[in-house]
Parts: sequence; structure tokens; C-alpha cells
Amino acid sequence: MNASRIAIIALGLLAPPQAADAHVVIEGVGGFPGGLIHPLLVPAHALFLVALGLLAGQQTAAHRRAVFGVFAAASVAAILAVTLAVATNDADIMVLAGAALAGLLATTGRPLPTIVPAAIAAPAAGALMLDSVPAVVSTSETLLALAGTALGAILLSALVAWIAASPRYPWQRIGARILGAWAAASAILVLALRLAK
Amino acid sequence: MVRRGLILFIFLLWPLASESALAHGGDGIAGGFLGGFSHPLFGPDHVAAMVAVGLWGAFLGAPAIWLFPVIFPLVMALGGVLGILGVPLPGVEIGIALSAVLLGMMVAMAARPPLLVAALLVGAFAIFHGHAHGTELPRGADPIAFSLGFVVATGCLHLAGIVFGLLARWPYGRMAVRTAGGVIAIAGLVFLGRFV
Repeated sequence: MNASRIAIIALGLLAPPQAADAHVVIEGVGGFPGGLIHPLLVPAHALFLVALGLLAGQQTAAHRRAVFGVFAAASVAAILAVTLAVATNDADIMVLAGAALAGLLATTGRPLPTIVPAAIAAPAAGALMLDSVPAVVSTSETLLALAGTALGAILLSALVAWIAASPRYPWQRIGARILGAWAAASAILVLALRLAK
Repeated sequence: MVRRGLILFIFLLWPLASESALAHGGDGIAGGFLGGFSHPLFGPDHVAAMVAVGLWGAFLGAPAIWLFPVIFPLVMALGGVLGILGVPLPGVEIGIALSAVLLGMMVAMAARPPLLVAALLVGAFAIFHGHAHGTELPRGADPIAFSLGFVVATGCLHLAGIVFGLLARWPYGRMAVRTAGGVIAIAGLVFLGRFV
């Protein structure tokens, strides 16, 4: 772990506790475990992570690693922002937009420049973290939960990417593109519904 | 490898199994999905047109066989956005009935237009189907579960058409597929008759 990362974590731990304006992950399950499973339990988050995984699975192994590196960095930055009392009620819009874009690009089934999936992953990953702040007052518990959320999100998306990355039959590539279309279509509809409110 | 595909499919459907996290207010996610899934299935005009899309895709072969199921939900979503935003689209129900007539006829006549023309035809009709779904999207249901439900149901109807359409590889199967297209076109005319 390099010095800058330690500094970020230390800054986060030293930051004064802020009132969290969000939610309990699951009643009775808090902290790191609660955060870990949170991405699986919020439909918009799961949809984005699956779509990103489908897209990442169509990239080269090096590009996949870069995408998930960017995802992790954006998650850390968002956690830091949370400790500095950054909050928004519209983070889900960015997550849904990320799902729509990732799904749309996954329908092309083509390798893309790393910057493209990374540019989708970074803001959506940050928004996902901001949308996952637990309703606890303790800063340390918030950080633990968000660390769990970041890990759970990366694991879920990486697992989907791993499955999508090694198709043995042509229909599996086609299936990934069709699933991408379904994810994009769902996200676009919900995004419209969300913006129409 | 089949297992990998299944796992991928399960992950896409994972959001449907989700319990609501408190601040997300998604009461009844499973109900939302079932509502969305059953929405196209209870509209015979939707069912006929979706199956026709699959039949025609299978009849045309690659790449139409997989291009239609990719294009249709995406364009349908755009139609859904118009419906959600309240943008009026005249003759939605007529357009849906016409989609069954024309797509059924394409299969019955074994029409093989250029891929672009076929894709444009399928995409144009998808707007009508999407608009109808978007207008009827219940605001109370979990929106992701509902929308994913009817997108998946639409995909399953395409798949049903594709599976049946694959019979076209054999002479008798080809006749059966074309007959099915004719039946869909006639059904579409019946649907259309309600508006004339």
C-alpha cells in the first residue's frame, strides 16, 4: 500500500462524523458484511454491475484490469468524499446511466479503447458508493460498510466479466450481447421514469 | 460452458431476486417483475408480433437471428421513454396490430429484404410496442423489476419464435414456419379489425 493511499484512508478515518442521509442496508446486518452484499440487493446497482461486467468481459485482459482498477480508485475517492460530507439524492441516476451505456456498448460485442469502459465505470462507481451510504452515525462503521460495498461491487462485476470473457461457443457471445440489450433497455426505461418524476 | 451461460443469465436476473433496501422504496420487487413479465404475455397482439420477430429472424438466418433480439428491446425502450414522458404517438394500437400483420406476412411470404430494411421494419414497430408498455408502466411497482420483467418476457417470446423458426431448415418445417407466419398475419388482421 503506497503512502498516498494510506493518507487517504487516514484522512477518512480522522474526518469528523457526518450525519448519513441514506439507509440501513439490511436490518440486523451492518458494517462490512452488510456493505458487501448491498450491491446484490439494490436492483439498480446489480443491473449496472452486470452490464459493466458484460462490457468488461468483451475487452482484453489488460483492459479489464484497467477498468476494474479505475472502478476501485473511483470507489475510494467516493468513500473519501462521503467522509467529507458529500451527499446527493440523485446518485442512482448516474448508476442507471452507467447501466444503460455499459449495456448499449455491450451489444456491439467489440473491444473498445480502455478509456470508454473506464469513463463509464468511474462516475457510476462513485455514484454507486454515494448511493450506498448506510444510515449510521459512526464514521468508522460507514467506512467499513462502504469498503464492503466497493469490494462486493467489484467482485460481482468481475465475476460477470470473467464468465463473459471466455465464451467457447459463438452463441455465448451473442447471448452476452442480447443480455446487454436487455440491461440497457431496462435501465433506459427506469431512467426515463426517474427523470419524469 | 453452458453452465457459464446460465450463470451469466442468473446474474442478469439477480436484481429480480433482490429484497428492497429501505431507502430505495422498492416494495414488491418480485411482484414488479411478475407484473412486468406477464404484461406482454397477456396482450395477444404483442405475443403475435414478438413471435413473428423471432420467426422472421430465424428464417433470415445470421445475423438477423440475433440482431433482431438486440435491436428490438433497445428501440422498444426508446418507445417506452416516449410513453413515460407522455409524448403522444398516434395509432399505437393500430401500429401494434399492423406489426403482427406485416411481420407475419414477411414470414408467410418467406420475404428476404436487405438486412437494413428488415431491421428498420422491426425497429419501427418496436417503437409502438415500447410506447404502449411505457404508457402503462405502473408507477407503484418496482420500476427496474417491472421493466426487466417485460424486457425478459419480450426476449422469451422472440426466443420462442426463433426456436420454432429453426424448423425452417427442413422442407416440412419451412412450410410449418410459413404457415405460422400466415396465422400471425391473420390474427393481426383480426386485431386490426377492432380499430376499423
